Amino acid sequence: MTHAGSERVSLDPRFAPPFPQAALIMLRNPQLRKNVGHAIDVIQAKRGKLVVEKIDWQELRSAASEIRFHALDNLGAYLEQFEARCTAAGGHVHWATDAAEARQIILDLLRQENATEVIKIKTMTSAEIQLNSFLQSAGVSVFETDLAEIILQLGDEDPSHIVVPALHINRSQVRVIFARTMGLKNLSDDPKELTNAARTYLRQKFLTVPTAISGANFLVAETGTVSVVESEGNGRMCLTLPRTLISLVGIEKVLPHFQDLEVMLQLLARSATGERMNPYTSLWSGVTPGDGPQNFHVVLLDNGRSRILAKDKERQTLKCIRCAACMNTCPVYRQTGGHAYGSVYPGPIGAILTPQLMQMKYAQTLPYASSLCGACYEVCPVKINIPEVLLELRSQVVNQERRQAGRFFDLMYLGLRIANLIFATAWGFHAAQRMGRIGLRFFTRKDGWIHALPSLGAKWTQTRDLRGLPKQTFHQWWAERAKGSK
Amino acid sequence: MKQPVQSRQLTLDRIRAATPSAAKDASQLAESYATLPRTYIRRGSLSAPVRIELMIQRLREYDAEVVECAPAELPDAITTQLAASGRHQFVTPPGTPNEWMITSAWKITGLEWTIDHDLAIDEIEKAEGVVTAATCGIADSGTIVLHHTSTEGRRVLTLLPDWYLCVLRASQIVETLPEYFSLCQQPPALATYISGPSATADIEMTRIKGVHGPRILVVIVVRDDK
Repeated sequence: MTHAGSERVSLDPRFAPPFPQAALIMLRNPQLRKNVGHAIDVIQAKRGKLVVEKIDWQELRSAASEIRFHALDNLGAYLEQFEARCTAAGGHVHWATDAAEARQIILDLLRQENATEVIKIKTMTSAEIQLNSFLQSAGVSVFETDLAEIILQLGDEDPSHIVVPALHINRSQVRVIFARTMGLKNLSDDPKELTNAARTYLRQKFLTVPTAISGANFLVAETGTVSVVESEGNGRMCLTLPRTLISLVGIEKVLPHFQDLEVMLQLLARSATGERMNPYTSLWSGVTPGDGPQNFHVVLLDNGRSRILAKDKERQTLKCIRCAACMNTCPVYRQTGGHAYGSVYPGPIGAILTPQLMQMKYAQTLPYASSLCGACYEVCPVKINIPEVLLELRSQVVNQERRQAGRFFDLMYLGLRIANLIFATAWGFHAAQRMGRIGLRFFTRKDGWIHALPSLGAKWTQTRDLRGLPKQTFHQWWAERAKGSK
Repeated sequence: MKQPVQSRQLTLDRIRAATPSAAKDASQLAESYATLPRTYIRRGSLSAPVRIELMIQRLREYDAEVVECAPAELPDAITTQLAASGRHQFVTPPGTPNEWMITSAWKITGLEWTIDHDLAIDEIEKAEGVVTAATCGIADSGTIVLHHTSTEGRRVLTLLPDWYLCVLRASQIVETLPEYFSLCQQPPALATYISGPSATADIEMTRIKGVHGPRILVVIVVRDDK
């Protein structure tokens, strides 16, 4: 009922419907589109102002891009350095090759602590490995503490954005969720009152639950530092009050030196929420006696990342610092919202990340969930050329598909093979042009446009008109012109 | 289930296989790192008074309350803020400077205070306000930097109380984030960067001040630059 009255789409790429099908469900939900549009408008307006005021924005982007590339090129050395420094500072580092292993490591750590409850800071990486449902089924109660994550958890909703995951839910929907699950009948839909309700709901949990799980925005190899960037203070609560802290981090998140944060932190908040700096940034390395958790674990997660690292064009995907600027600017995301992408990583970055993290067969339509307008590349603070990766993935989809048995007589591939033959020679090409002009003459209206074609051609004319072929080709015109000038 | 050691080795092997152009040793790595472009603005260009004015303006934009005082006026300024806060129970870190005269000031105004000598969490939770020093202020983003020294307190101290008074000396204010990082030749083991009071925009992107951290942030800028 809280799914904005709409059908639910799985965010597990293995079960999610193809993008066009999922998008259609979202497009038919006016409330969702209104909520998403409003949120995006607000973020974009704020971001625009702050990016313009930063006169060295492009220089920061270049530095960030090069730092991230350098870190990825030397990922092995920097991860080992991080591990050594974190361990020397009293932390414990674990390595997980895949999601199942990461889940098991975390559960084992919780069992060592006899933990029955755990508080969590928002982490998309934990959503990627579906940690919450795994822990719940193992008998550990999970309490999300980020306001948006509480809304999702209590409302049994899915995240639709990586920075503001509940942006598809409006205040009156939040009121309904909180009133029902917190037993607050007289709650109004004033965001201030709703926020206060969440504060009260969580306060006791913060003070009593001895185990916390976080993600991380950055790791620093030089110092073994872990960094969490947040707004509400729920992060600081989870990072300082519990006895035990487990941070789940993708292997790509490492930065070489402490100083590199001066670049990343200037870009991240401006790109993500349109603020000069987010309210709270926490940095810690290992364990500090008398301050914060005395039992600290980092779980380094591969889960497909080393496979992406191995590919030249795709490697840049791993530069991502998860600011979500690409989805905020994307004309496709704006219309469909996040759920249509069938993954916890939506938007343009999701369209390239999901097919690579998963086997391509589960996310074949995502590389096509883009108009290739390039807005995502333009705003990306670490200069990921998303359209380039999208095109590369599309070619992989096609190459995979056309080799499948039964595809030999597929009309599209048959047509492309014929086209290949025709375009191979000049006479073939000219002959095809002549035949095309004759054939299309029957469908060309007086206004010079083709409004409807039969059979396969209808796929084009259903959604847009086609200009009729001119009476003369450029080649013919050029040849005549040459003759005339003699 | 794979053995932990195997997973570490397996992951590192996969990474090494994926990055054939990685630096061969530490010196090559340092060399390659040194060539990265850093053409962004490192040093600010504002004069000291303008820089301090910018810091104050940025803090106010975050809805922080800012007051200025001369170094000699600090004890009075603190007392005034404590009285105006409407709160009665305060905590302060163990290294709070004597010249702040917090003890005498608080006795006069009849407020209760506790020094954090390993206080239990629920004792800090009982406090309604906290007063600390800071390491640095960054004017460009209105950021207050805590390295959690004995004058700044452990992390939880500036987190649980609802009202936070931070004493920042004007001479601690730099203009840009890179200027702060250039001061960190020895990176801190713990750091918190605070830019305004705790906030959220998770409901319809409406900014709400005060979620879990202090709802009210008051900054006294001590004009030791004059």
